[in-house]
Amino acid sequence: MISQLLSILVLGAMISAVYALIAIGFTMIFGVGGVLNLAHGALIMIGAFAYLGLTSSAGALSLPPVVGFVLAVAITAGASYVLYAGLVTYIEDNIVITFLATVVVALLLTELIIIQFGAEPSQLIPVVPGSIYLEAVGTRIRYVELVAFIVSWIAIGLLWYYVTKTDEGRSILATSMSTRGAELTGVDLGTVKSRTWLIAGAFAGIAGVFIGTLQSTTPEMWLNPLALAFIIVVIGGIGSIKGSVVAAYLIGYLETASIEILGPSFQGVLSLIVLAAVLLVLPHGLYGRELVHE
Amino acid sequence: MSSATDRLSTVTGRLDQSLQPLADGFNRLVGDYVGELNGLQFALVFGSLAAVLTAPFWGTFGLVRAMTVAAIWAIFAMSWDIQSGYTGYISFGHSVLSGAAAYTTAMLVHNVDPELSMAITIPVSILAALVVGLLIALPSLRLSGPYFSLITFVAVLIFYRLIPSFSAYTGGETGIQSVEVFTYDPIARYYYMIVPMLVIAVVLTVIARSNIGLILVSIRENEAAVNAAGIDATKFKIFSFALSSIPMGIGGVLLVHFTGGVDPTTFIVVDRSIEMIAMAVLGGMSSILGPLGGAFFLIVLRDYILTDLAGLSSPARWTIFWGLVLAVLVFVREGLFRKLWHTLERYGGGQP
Amino acid sequence: MSLLEIDGVTKRFGGLVAVNDVSFEIDRGEIVGLIGPNGSGKSTVFNCIMSIYDVTDGSITFDGTDITDHRTHEVVNSGLSRVSQESNPIESMPVAGNIQLFTLPNSVTSLRGGASDEEIYEYAARVDIEDKLREMPDELPHADVRRLEIAKALATEPDLLLLDEPFAGMNQAEITELAATFERFREEGITIVIVDHNMGGLMNLVDRAIVINNGDKLMEGTPTQVTEDPRVQKAYLGTAEET
Repeated sequence: MISQLLSILVLGAMISAVYALIAIGFTMIFGVGGVLNLAHGALIMIGAFAYLGLTSSAGALSLPPVVGFVLAVAITAGASYVLYAGLVTYIEDNIVITFLATVVVALLLTELIIIQFGAEPSQLIPVVPGSIYLEAVGTRIRYVELVAFIVSWIAIGLLWYYVTKTDEGRSILATSMSTRGAELTGVDLGTVKSRTWLIAGAFAGIAGVFIGTLQSTTPEMWLNPLALAFIIVVIGGIGSIKGSVVAAYLIGYLETASIEILGPSFQGVLSLIVLAAVLLVLPHGLYGRELVHE
Repeated sequence: MSSATDRLSTVTGRLDQSLQPLADGFNRLVGDYVGELNGLQFALVFGSLAAVLTAPFWGTFGLVRAMTVAAIWAIFAMSWDIQSGYTGYISFGHSVLSGAAAYTTAMLVHNVDPELSMAITIPVSILAALVVGLLIALPSLRLSGPYFSLITFVAVLIFYRLIPSFSAYTGGETGIQSVEVFTYDPIARYYYMIVPMLVIAVVLTVIARSNIGLILVSIRENEAAVNAAGIDATKFKIFSFALSSIPMGIGGVLLVHFTGGVDPTTFIVVDRSIEMIAMAVLGGMSSILGPLGGAFFLIVLRDYILTDLAGLSSPARWTIFWGLVLAVLVFVREGLFRKLWHTLERYGGGQP
Repeated sequence: MSLLEIDGVTKRFGGLVAVNDVSFEIDRGEIVGLIGPNGSGKSTVFNCIMSIYDVTDGSITFDGTDITDHRTHEVVNSGLSRVSQESNPIESMPVAGNIQLFTLPNSVTSLRGGASDEEIYEYAARVDIEDKLREMPDELPHADVRRLEIAKALATEPDLLLLDEPFAGMNQAEITELAATFERFREEGITIVIVDHNMGGLMNLVDRAIVINNGDKLMEGTPTQVTEDPRVQKAYLGTAEET
């Protein structure tokens, strides 16, 4: 029992950090532009498959995993920017069209990936191979889980520094609080949005490589992260980075615990119950503001 | 108007004039209930109707099969439209409604009695869709806009995941494949699907053009104004879900008796909901007949033109499918069929 | 018996008391001004009457019926209608459609009820926009959009009309004309309560005025009593810079 608890504690901490990355990207994009990017899961999928294409021993490149990881993150950030500049910017005035178009992008990408990589699940080479048995906890963790945890927290830390300590970053935070107010103080909205999509894309790329390694890399893998991002963001409060981190840990632990105790089939159901409860009791989430964008 | 348009409309205008007497007859008879047409619009509506009704006599097997499937999806797209398109509470969860009906039929046959009569399974299945529809309506009382949409999105994922958890009853991933089909005769089967679709199209069009449609659109445009008008917006929102779930249930029943079974991928997965939305959006949201046209257009394209004629692989077909939907979303927001409709209005030389 | 009775109504938003224990009565056939500086709680009183907000405490009685807990559409159907400060017509419908919506019965089985074209014309004619029935709201000048809001309220056949800043953004000629229109409404049997932060223009129109300041009822009386009351003068002077 104790060992089970400890293992939930350790494993939950690892995966929750990755969930936080996913949710932060999703919520930042909503924060600065009021756009619900349903292609956020697709970006995660791009990260995983870019890494697969770059590092797979069957592929033409077979790059070292660390190089492949960095490139995959860069590619995902680029894809995110292209999604914004090439599509969303033309339709973001209509919220319904925007979320329909972004979900269609996800489905389109699914088909393109099936054409390129096939429909079967693919195996990613871990960024760092091997695993370690934690004697005290009584569970085995893979090094790549540890790396996922550390890299995610470094990314979150850097973002935190960026949006609170630098002028560029502060303009993102200001815009997410009040678009009009930020524009009045001379913030260039287009630049802020571009930067936000780049950051969200990079975060999705990091998450994509780790989710792809730890869970599965398939052309359908965009769905779960998207649902998670949404659940976490609603619980944490839409637009709040702090809320996303807290809620990511809540949901990450909940999922880890339910898999350990109840088995994998009830994984999403518990999260939904928590989501429903939060919506009823705290409609604006833990750290949220109202869902009114100007 | 450009000169080319002018020249074209002198021709089309004359065509319009010659059809006008027919259209006027139609307008006098039922114009109050379904809206008035000009000559060209009359030609489009009744030309398409004639084509649809006679398809087995001129179409190939592949085309008729595609149109059979299209009829079912047209029901889904129209049902989605009367709720989501009209009220603006965009549901990503409608595949759960048709899925509930289909699963009810299959589970009754599979778990209760394989000999159970359709006179029992069909009404019970439609009722199941109604119950699920009202459940999905609940969050709309508290949430609006993207919040509501995403809740319905998550609801689909949950239903999808729950099916394997109760695989003893639901058949898990592979589903239940022991449902009786209506008929193996492709021509009779076609009419089994087309007739209910036409009835639903007429009923929903009449409702959409009545006070109810006006109120539902007003909920989308300005919910507070509806309450200020002395109308209970909540009641109408819930009613729109009921109005939507019943034909969704009918469509679900038709689909299960068409395929002869259920499985989560064919019925529940969120892609199916988005397909319905795609058809409605491609045709033109909040017009009922636009989604109908969108369903026929997309399914005939995907299942007949790209499959039978072009011989493309499944992912290639879907790539074109979603690519087209995306293009319409970006470039023709109002939808292809609504655009066509307004074009006919222009070329007809003014509304009667 | 008075038509509308506000009894000890209080509305709190968290710690903020927007309306504090306000009571007043409106008699049938009156035109009453509800005045006070900006942010004094006048519109909140209207919102409480219309059940846009739930009251924290107190009760609202209309025509002998307690409507405190009624929902907005029930309040409207009992004979109260409000013209908001903000115009919010449905942009995708012409003027006639916007008016028609307000005549529709609250019934999911009524496919074809509601006012006839002649009746809609009449509602529009009462505020002089009968020649604009086919125009879209965004084509109308500001004063006509405001008139459309009043026509919509009339279309619910109210006994009591709540007007929230009806003169805002209008020029003097339009104000005079609109005031005459309100006089006509009274002759047709409609009781009227007008919210305005601007005391001057209103005083010729109203029989009585109720003054609200910082959520409290300051006083009520005839226009002369109100304008001469030192408390009222002080309340307005205190916020003069802001208004």
